[in-house]
Amino acid sequence: MNHGKTGLLESQRLLGYIHRFLRHHFYRPITGLHKVLTFELLTLTVVLGGVAKGQTYGTDFHRVTVQVSQVTVIQVSSGTVSLSISGANAVAGQNAMTVTDLSTSFLWGINVSQRKVTARTNLAAPLFSLKVLAVNPTQGTAAPEVTLSTTAQDFLINIGKSSGTTQVQYTGVALASQGTGSDAHTVTFTVTVQ
Amino acid sequence: MNHRIRNKGTVSTVTLFLLALSCAFFQQQTMAQPINVGNNITMSITTGVAGGTLTSVVNTARTLTYRRQLAIAKITVSTSCPTQSFTLKVLATAVPDGIAAPEVTLVNGMPATDFIVNIPVRPPNTARSCTLRYTASATFSQGNSIEDGNDVHTVTYTILAQ
Repeated sequence: MNHGKTGLLESQRLLGYIHRFLRHHFYRPITGLHKVLTFELLTLTVVLGGVAKGQTYGTDFHRVTVQVSQVTVIQVSSGTVSLSISGANAVAGQNAMTVTDLSTSFLWGINVSQRKVTARTNLAAPLFSLKVLAVNPTQGTAAPEVTLSTTAQDFLINIGKSSGTTQVQYTGVALASQGTGSDAHTVTFTVTVQ
Repeated sequence: MNHRIRNKGTVSTVTLFLLALSCAFFQQQTMAQPINVGNNITMSITTGVAGGTLTSVVNTARTLTYRRQLAIAKITVSTSCPTQSFTLKVLATAVPDGIAAPEVTLVNGMPATDFIVNIPVRPPNTARSCTLRYTASATFSQGNSIEDGNDVHTVTYTILAQ
């Protein structure tokens, strides 16, 4: 607030110079001339004072455009998951033996509407079953547990435009009647239109 | 009579002098552009982090040029962006005259907000320039330009007596 008076003070200082100049050259009072000079002084006062009080000196603008691309990023935290079914998983009298792993997290960031995540495996004829389920997703809804096949199946739905994580639960199922062996799956998660 | 004529002549001279002074003053106010921002800018956000946020973008390619005034002055900033979806901030850096205010978040319809304050009085009346540091950011939930359109801000800078 105090700084706003500086311009006015400068104006007054300038007017002081002009007054001294006029007093020096027009010491004798001449009414008509004084009217002219008074008019000029008032004009100058208004000009200088007006700028100090009018406050705005200038303005300018430009346009800043912000554009955001459609971004879809996903990440699986663990590169490799091993599920081993041993005698410890066997229950006498039951054919099915299972093992579960929750060490993997799935992360996503999607700014496109109406998207879901599907999962599939590259293994067309596995010896054993491998199931997958999204557990505790921070956004969206987990699809029911599915047995992986080469056809993409829903893993996570209704995620909308969001960023979040979910645990990935893998369950390996082997029947005693299937004997021994191993399957190497490459599991692919895909973001697609819901 | 001669004395009266001489006085009239002198008064005319003084009148012309004062008028010239007024004109020069106005000319200085209007012709020497008190503030200027550069050309338009486009900022593009194209990447993000899964489980995190979109990667913000910074632009420092534009400068704000301004002049000292008869009174201590400040510069304010405001924006108009009726369909704003994303976040845009601006900060003055490398300010030669005056003090930069904290970074301003530009929101449609915002009141003029201090951008640079305490700009000293002239002289000198030379042009001064600082860098405009724009930061554009967005969240995944804010969507994208293809579905929602770009944010086009008309960012206005005003220099005025403080």
